[in-house]
Amino acid sequence: MGYGSTVKVPFGPQHPALKEPENFLFEVDGDIVVNVTPRIGYVHRGIEKALELRSYIQDLYLAERICGICSHAHTTCYTQGIEELLGVEAPPRAKYIRTIIAELERLHSHSLWVGVAAHEVGFDTLFMYTWRDREAVMELLEAISGNRVHYAMNTIGGVRRDISAEKTDKIRSSLDFFEKRVQEYLHVIRTEESFLKRTAGVGLLKKQEALDFCAVGPTLRASGVKNDVRADDPYAAYGEIPFEVIVDDECDVLGRTVVRCKEMLESINIVRYALDKMPDGSTRVRVPMAVPAGEAVSRVEAPRGELIHYAKSNGTTKPERYKVRSPTLANIPALCKTLVGAHLADIPIILAGIDPCFSCMDRMVFVDVAKDRNWVWTMQQLKRNTSR
Amino acid sequence: MGQTSEVTEELRAAFKDSMIEVKAPRERRIFMRIKKVAFQETVKRLINDFGFRHLSTITGVDLGDQVEVIYHFAREGAIELSVGVALPKNTLSISTVSGLMPAASVYEREVHEFLGVSFEGNPNLSPLVLPEGWPKNVYPLRKERTFEELRQIGATK
Repeated sequence: MGYGSTVKVPFGPQHPALKEPENFLFEVDGDIVVNVTPRIGYVHRGIEKALELRSYIQDLYLAERICGICSHAHTTCYTQGIEELLGVEAPPRAKYIRTIIAELERLHSHSLWVGVAAHEVGFDTLFMYTWRDREAVMELLEAISGNRVHYAMNTIGGVRRDISAEKTDKIRSSLDFFEKRVQEYLHVIRTEESFLKRTAGVGLLKKQEALDFCAVGPTLRASGVKNDVRADDPYAAYGEIPFEVIVDDECDVLGRTVVRCKEMLESINIVRYALDKMPDGSTRVRVPMAVPAGEAVSRVEAPRGELIHYAKSNGTTKPERYKVRSPTLANIPALCKTLVGAHLADIPIILAGIDPCFSCMDRMVFVDVAKDRNWVWTMQQLKRNTSR
Repeated sequence: MGQTSEVTEELRAAFKDSMIEVKAPRERRIFMRIKKVAFQETVKRLINDFGFRHLSTITGVDLGDQVEVIYHFAREGAIELSVGVALPKNTLSISTVSGLMPAASVYEREVHEFLGVSFEGNPNLSPLVLPEGWPKNVYPLRKERTFEELRQIGATK
């Protein structure tokens, strides 16, 4: 219902516990969003500049720390780009190991997201289950790499650790468990009324809009566009592994949930296939410190979509320029389009729909322009006042 | 390299007047350098005639007395085409492509903020990433700016 006059609602940016705060200034008419202005950069750390000041091997560790969820996606993108400039290629076994870690990362990222989405629509039971089950994947990553988050598996020229035969068995049995759980989530999200009512038809992004706004990843695929860097621009071992690119034409938050759940099933199959076919041999080649002058564009399919790095080298041990564009930024224009016309109460789940980091919603400052007063709601107050 | 080199040759023929160089270092990667004069027309044709409808991002590079702006386009079949335009630092501006591709706006703002390139016709070049009150004319990705200096400016914001 419109009131004929609008109110501006700043959304974000700070949250002490979560990562990646963002700020969205919403203009609302009644409870309908009529305009959105994003403001990002609250955790901007100047990494692109810092990369220019450090050696390639130091930059590897910095690239790992661009993101805490998809750290492996960033180092894969980084090492591929630098390997291309060096004219070296990682050994086949290293490429399979990169692929296995990448898919385990997708599993923990997507299951984390399903939990967050469930939480945002008030379905905390599913949130608890997914985050409990996700531990199985986290334990695998820890068993393989020694770390739950920054696995530090990649290095320029290959990977730093091998996957032993006994770890292979552990991976298989954990994946058997996890696969059953994902099938259960798929069943629940398609049949549970309380989930469907908050997600079906919410946050619509039509196919043409998704293409026009250059959306990426599950957000794009849930709008019916078959686009996946792993299939279209194969890297690591993806060119040798059969898998299906999941698409869905529902174009809403439910579609984005279905896509991510089905992608988890595909990821499990990719890991199984890679474990079966993983060639023997070395896991890395030694590379020189200095990189010859040149430029490279490196792309990977991170859990949230197309991740692109651009590297320009100048013949020294440090890059001339290093550019990173993460998938969340690519989805911001499409997200803003999706939010216009939405209900205030649906903002949390629509924002969550693209899988950004979530900290932006800790508190809101409400500004009544006409009466020139403002006040702050905590996340709890926001939920209380916007729950339907 | 079949399709990639074919497309490279098509690009060379189509833009021979504005082309400075074009190369395909590997499969599915093309780098092209063009003159600024024909920029908007070139992008229009890349979208309409060549199908490069996806803009992955825009990179800005400080080359000393010039800033190079590189547009990373993609099309089906996953050819990633990087189109570079070098702009002299005394006239650091280029026409916006946000009218042709709405997604460009956010990347243009980023390049504007970090390297001081102005994108003519982009209605909104307001700060996107840097803190409120960041001084004008301090462009962090310019080579003359040191990390220490930027850190000190950042600490006061």
